[in-house]
Amino acid sequence: MGRLVQAEWTKLLTTKVWIGLLLGSCVLSAGLAALFTGLAGQDGGPGPVGTAEFEQTVLGLAGNGSILALVLGIIGITQEYRHRTATPTFLTTPRRGRVVSAKLLAYLLAGIPFALVTVAVTVLVVVVYAGARGAAPSLGGDNGEVLLGAGLSIVLYAVIGVGVGALFRNQVGAIVGSLVYLFIIENIIGGISAISGVYKWLPGGATAALTAVTEGPADLLNQWQGGLLLLAYGLVAAVLGTLLAVRRDIV
Amino acid sequence: MGRDVRAPGRSPEQQEDVISSASTAAAAPVRVEVSGLTKTFGQVRAVDDLSFTVEPGQVTGFLGPNGAGKTTTLRMALGLITPDAGTATFDGVPYAQLTEPTRRVGAVLETAFHPARTGRNHLRVYCRAAGLPVSRADDVLEQVGLTPAAHRKAGGYSLGMRQRLGLATALLGDPAVLVLDEPANGLDPEGIQWLRGFLRYLAHEQGRTVLVSSHLLAEVEQTADRVVIVGAGRLVRQGSLAELRAGADGNGGGSVLVRSPQAVQLAERLTAAGTRVETTGPDALTVHGLTSAQVGSTAFAAGVELHELRSRTSGLEEVYFQLTSGQEQYASGTAPASDGKGAA
Repeated sequence: MGRLVQAEWTKLLTTKVWIGLLLGSCVLSAGLAALFTGLAGQDGGPGPVGTAEFEQTVLGLAGNGSILALVLGIIGITQEYRHRTATPTFLTTPRRGRVVSAKLLAYLLAGIPFALVTVAVTVLVVVVYAGARGAAPSLGGDNGEVLLGAGLSIVLYAVIGVGVGALFRNQVGAIVGSLVYLFIIENIIGGISAISGVYKWLPGGATAALTAVTEGPADLLNQWQGGLLLLAYGLVAAVLGTLLAVRRDIV
Repeated sequence: MGRDVRAPGRSPEQQEDVISSASTAAAAPVRVEVSGLTKTFGQVRAVDDLSFTVEPGQVTGFLGPNGAGKTTTLRMALGLITPDAGTATFDGVPYAQLTEPTRRVGAVLETAFHPARTGRNHLRVYCRAAGLPVSRADDVLEQVGLTPAAHRKAGGYSLGMRQRLGLATALLGDPAVLVLDEPANGLDPEGIQWLRGFLRYLAHEQGRTVLVSSHLLAEVEQTADRVVIVGAGRLVRQGSLAELRAGADGNGGGSVLVRSPQAVQLAERLTAAGTRVETTGPDALTVHGLTSAQVGSTAFAAGVELHELRSRTSGLEEVYFQLTSGQEQYASGTAPASDGKGAA
């Protein structure tokens, strides 16, 4: 398994996709954090700089990198079909479940530096900008927990991406479909009061739980439950994908 | 050793070094056995109860027209397509159950690589996955003459370079069996010449099992010792080229097509000399076992006027046409069924 994980890392690092996605993750997360810091204390913005509400909201924005990590994971598996490298990959490793397992592990581990960089850049921007506006946030206590949750969500979304990619082999379809789901369908479900109770069990609800500020909405799971639920989504998608899609003929 | 094996820009001596150093681990000979393979896609039976064997130390040509099921058969043998029925084994073991498949079997199926990855990095990926030292990537690049392009993105490779990269990928594990699907596609004449020599070298000098598919008889005829011919998913014939040639036409030769207003007279004359002659039209004969020169001089001696005198395709090609496309009238001049409507 170790050599298959290494092979996945070699695949990942020998094209430039990861650079673009990591840059995107940093720009999105740190950009939003800068925007929120600029709006701090204004009507409709977060609380004033220096309050716990402001700090937790702004630092939690690092979790937006998870969208890019999701795309990273999806590409990690769907590119095998897009560029037809599934043929040499499955010739080298005929037991296809092992390939999917190796990808899950490889992207879980690759997600860690991806998350660390995204979180570090976001923190840097917030510390410098909020510091200039009066009070740099501390990184311990509740703030630390928020950052940990944001970082974990990035790592877990890379795993979910592999699962989604295994299930839907079409790269564009998998990416567009999951973005539509996360940004449109879950919002609709969350907005309909009759079924909003299921929201906390959905990926978006689990993510909110994982990255929630401590006094977040009461009807969410707690932080570690949210994290486990996200991991479960990734693994279930990968298992289903292996059984239903990955085993299909490579013609 | 090393004859006919050339990489562009390399002296034969260098090339010999590369090949011999790459083949130190040439594994024990492996026999490939395909038994009853069957696959249906929708309404189409792509492969129908196909059985044949591929022996080590020989180049076996896997021959059939486009759409005969060659690629599907090879992909089933390699575990990429699940057959509806039947098995394919390498010394008794199905591909998917080989412990180190890359070291037993190498396959060139299509040009499959990420266009943004360099040729060398492409090979390093599969070195890692197969647990081979990454230095093998450089070895096989030299072996196929792709070293100068090693650091270029594979997406910018010419068709011939892509085929070479595919071959390099197959050679990574120094396998005892090499399976190639239409490897000559896209190669220039020099590349084809090189490939033929390379495949013969791998089989004859190193004792590997080489199975190479093609839809062109001429391509296989130059390289192969044995052929397996398929048509419409079924086995049509398997055997050595020599056997096939012999079976092609009783006496191993081709045939000569003659048109003459005095066809009957000529036929009598030839038959009297012990030659097999078929009457294929009111003024047409097919003469077996003689060259066109021999037929011409017989006609001249008999004072017979000739309107047409032409050698048909080689016996082997004739068999290939008959076996794989029996419906086509141009290929069935000797078949009684087409009598009287040969010009239709």
